[in-house]
Amino acid sequence: MSLALLITLLSPVIGGFVYGVERILRARMQGRVGPPLLQPFYDFFKLLEKRSMVIHSFHAFMGLMYLLGTWFSLYVLLSGGDILIAIFFHLLSLAFLVVGGFSVRSSYSILGSMRELLHMVAYEPVFVLAAAGLYLITGTFQISQILHSDKLPLLYLPLVFIALLLTLPSVLKKSPFDVAEAHQEIIGGPEIEYSGKFYEAIYTAKWIEYVYAFFFVFLFAGGSWWLGALLVLLSFFLVNLIDNATARVNFRQMVAFHWCVLIPLVVINLMLLALWRS
Amino acid sequence: MEKVVWALILIPWALALAVFISPWHRLRQAITFLSLPVLVYLTYLLSDGSLPLLIHTPHWVSQLITLYDFLLLFYFLYQGLKFRSFLVSVLSLFQIFLLVWVLLILPHREGAELLVDRLTLFMYWIVATVGTLISIYATKYMEQENLERENRFVSVLLWFLGVMNFAVSVNNLEWFFALFETTTLASYVLIRFRWDEISIKNALRALWMNQVGGIAILLAILFAVKYYGVYRFTEILAIKGHLISMVPLGFLAISALVKGAQMPFHRWLLGAMVAPTPVSAILHSATMVKIAPYLILRLSPVIKGTLLAKLLIITTGFVFVSAGLLALTQDNFKKILAYSTISLLGLMMLTGAMGSSTAVLASLLLILFHAVVKALLFMEAGVMEKLFKAKYLEDIRRLVERAPVTVFFVSIGFMSMTIVPYGIFVAKWLTLEEASNFLSHGAYVGSIIFVATGGVILTLLYFKIIGVMTRKREEFFRFRLEKLPFVYLFSTVPLVVFTIVGSIFIALLSTKLINPVVSQVVGSPAPIKALGLTLQTGVSELYGWQIVGAFTLLLIVPVCAYFIHFSGTDRVFTYTCGERVELNLGTYDFLCISQVEPLVETVSVALFVLTLVLGGGLV
Repeated sequence: MSLALLITLLSPVIGGFVYGVERILRARMQGRVGPPLLQPFYDFFKLLEKRSMVIHSFHAFMGLMYLLGTWFSLYVLLSGGDILIAIFFHLLSLAFLVVGGFSVRSSYSILGSMRELLHMVAYEPVFVLAAAGLYLITGTFQISQILHSDKLPLLYLPLVFIALLLTLPSVLKKSPFDVAEAHQEIIGGPEIEYSGKFYEAIYTAKWIEYVYAFFFVFLFAGGSWWLGALLVLLSFFLVNLIDNATARVNFRQMVAFHWCVLIPLVVINLMLLALWRS
Repeated sequence: MEKVVWALILIPWALALAVFISPWHRLRQAITFLSLPVLVYLTYLLSDGSLPLLIHTPHWVSQLITLYDFLLLFYFLYQGLKFRSFLVSVLSLFQIFLLVWVLLILPHREGAELLVDRLTLFMYWIVATVGTLISIYATKYMEQENLERENRFVSVLLWFLGVMNFAVSVNNLEWFFALFETTTLASYVLIRFRWDEISIKNALRALWMNQVGGIAILLAILFAVKYYGVYRFTEILAIKGHLISMVPLGFLAISALVKGAQMPFHRWLLGAMVAPTPVSAILHSATMVKIAPYLILRLSPVIKGTLLAKLLIITTGFVFVSAGLLALTQDNFKKILAYSTISLLGLMMLTGAMGSSTAVLASLLLILFHAVVKALLFMEAGVMEKLFKAKYLEDIRRLVERAPVTVFFVSIGFMSMTIVPYGIFVAKWLTLEEASNFLSHGAYVGSIIFVATGGVILTLLYFKIIGVMTRKREEFFRFRLEKLPFVYLFSTVPLVVFTIVGSIFIALLSTKLINPVVSQVVGSPAPIKALGLTLQTGVSELYGWQIVGAFTLLLIVPVCAYFIHFSGTDRVFTYTCGERVELNLGTYDFLCISQVEPLVETVSVALFVLTLVLGGGLV
């Protein structure tokens, strides 16, 4: 429990480092040198000194709430409780970002919030079904018990794992599923109207989401934590590779890919496994 | 105890009569206010007693009901002929024919005609609280709409409560048919209330669609008598082991699907929105459509695990998802609410058909919270319509600037249907965990996919609307809460309070109050425990700190939005890429989804037929 609290409190720092590594990795993939490792933190301090400009206080306040909500949902995940509850808590934190984005009269922000919801429509069912898969293997929904299970979920749920890997781009808003931010198109979506300290909050929340998303990959190794760490590294590399190698799709293609490819993939795995068992 | 039951059934009729004949508005309002304490007290009296209660009645009551049946059907026939509705007339004639046939073969056997168990009591509680609050609300609503016809309107609403109480306490299937058709009559009268062309058209549609449900019940009685020789719920439930035939149960399930406005029979509920808003509120929450999950729960012990139950799971699960999808394409606020009711009714019946104790618990939680929340949302829709002239999504743009309290209530209503840690979420969570136990069955895999995808679609829908409402141009400098009439606040605030308090104490609510109902429906209680605020199920836990944390996060928002104004910061306009354009901001209309509507209807018809033919064993 105290480990969970420690990781949760440190999660912005961890996420910041991950983001720093990611920027270097991405640069190397593109044949560039890239920024220093600590660049996200330099950005962080630079943003603190900026003049704060807000559209209205409700909007700015929702940015702060998004940070708080994401942080809380990460603690719910790490504290070892129910995995489904943790998934739905993420939705709660997303709600703050979305309502914030909707509350200003800016076409980019509103479009982005709507697309943010469509992201959720795409990846949420895959996560729920993956949780059901973990339950099928370990016999529990409690994360603390999944982490001490002597079975290796990856071995029984290969298709579910692949599906989860392919949803990660849409959770983390990476190409090809980055329609909600789409910098060239709607210039960051719901983030566009935040600046200064308030953008800081959004920025940090994004780092926390890194920890949140990759923890699900970690769960697929069950009790063997070293393998889990390896899986996280591999998936991190893969997500960035996909991010660099693909172009953005539109939201219909995104939802269609998740619903018509990934969900059936998960279901086939679950049904075959359950039939084999019974 | 028997007297209390009769009082619960008959007092609303008496109050309705009193409202109808009283000449002054204030007096009518006072009588309507009276219904709340009276019904709550009577229901409370019943809660202490030993249940289930089987009530025998003298023979003349049965004969009276039969006579009433014929009168009702002839009235339907008259309406069909008067408005030249072919379907209504033909269906009434067919019903009369079937009823005569039923009476000819019905064996006369002594038995209890009324059955009051915990499930009935549960429905009494909903009627006594939510139903009466809606009636109270209606007195004010009609004052603003048409004071001259207020007495008719409110008295029909009150009478409807009595009918509903009666309908959930009958044991005899023939009586159940009579009450089923009486609720049809009540909805017909209410939908027709404005007497314009479209009201009459929609009322007739509601009439014939529900008549199809009535025919299904009559056929169910015929086959029940033919195959089992019985015609009472208790006797059907008492048939142990393998049932000889599923035909009667298949027909009863069909009547539940029709009453619950499941696709393709969903249009009658959509049509109900032409009536004054309290009608929608009462049809969607406390009465009418709730008969559908009630009937499925009644039958769940005998249909559990059968092919019928599995097909019901798939049919209702399909409706849960597709009604949510179709709701995305709508722009009328009441229509969106109607679609979401259809969708959630699907979920209630899905969990009811699963039939295990945890699933039934989930179903009951859904019925309870859905009744409260839908009543709240429809009443707020009425407030928005009457006070702020907002009916369509484009009218409710930036409503928060004019009506922050209404927006707050509506947001709570919407969020309570999707987000942690509200009651409906808990029910969904229980369903998901229960379905995970049976992943080798196609139907249960179906149910988990439907619950997961349907849930996110409804979240998308509700946040789309919240997003339109909470949009603002600038800071609130002169921020004022709008003034709402006392009656409106009196009828909505208790529902908001219950939604929040009930969700915080969800563990106690489900173990202490709902679980006794579950154990009478299923035979054994759900394996849940309450530790303080923590809800423990067999396989996992919903911690109290999670519930409290989520509520703190959610309720901080309106409070702080009111008080916090970052005063040291500069105000700017939104970024428009340097363009100076007039903005007219709407929201996604999802018209791409309406292309699949014919497909959805075709599939739902196919599923309906499959449920009847394969589930009912007609092959």
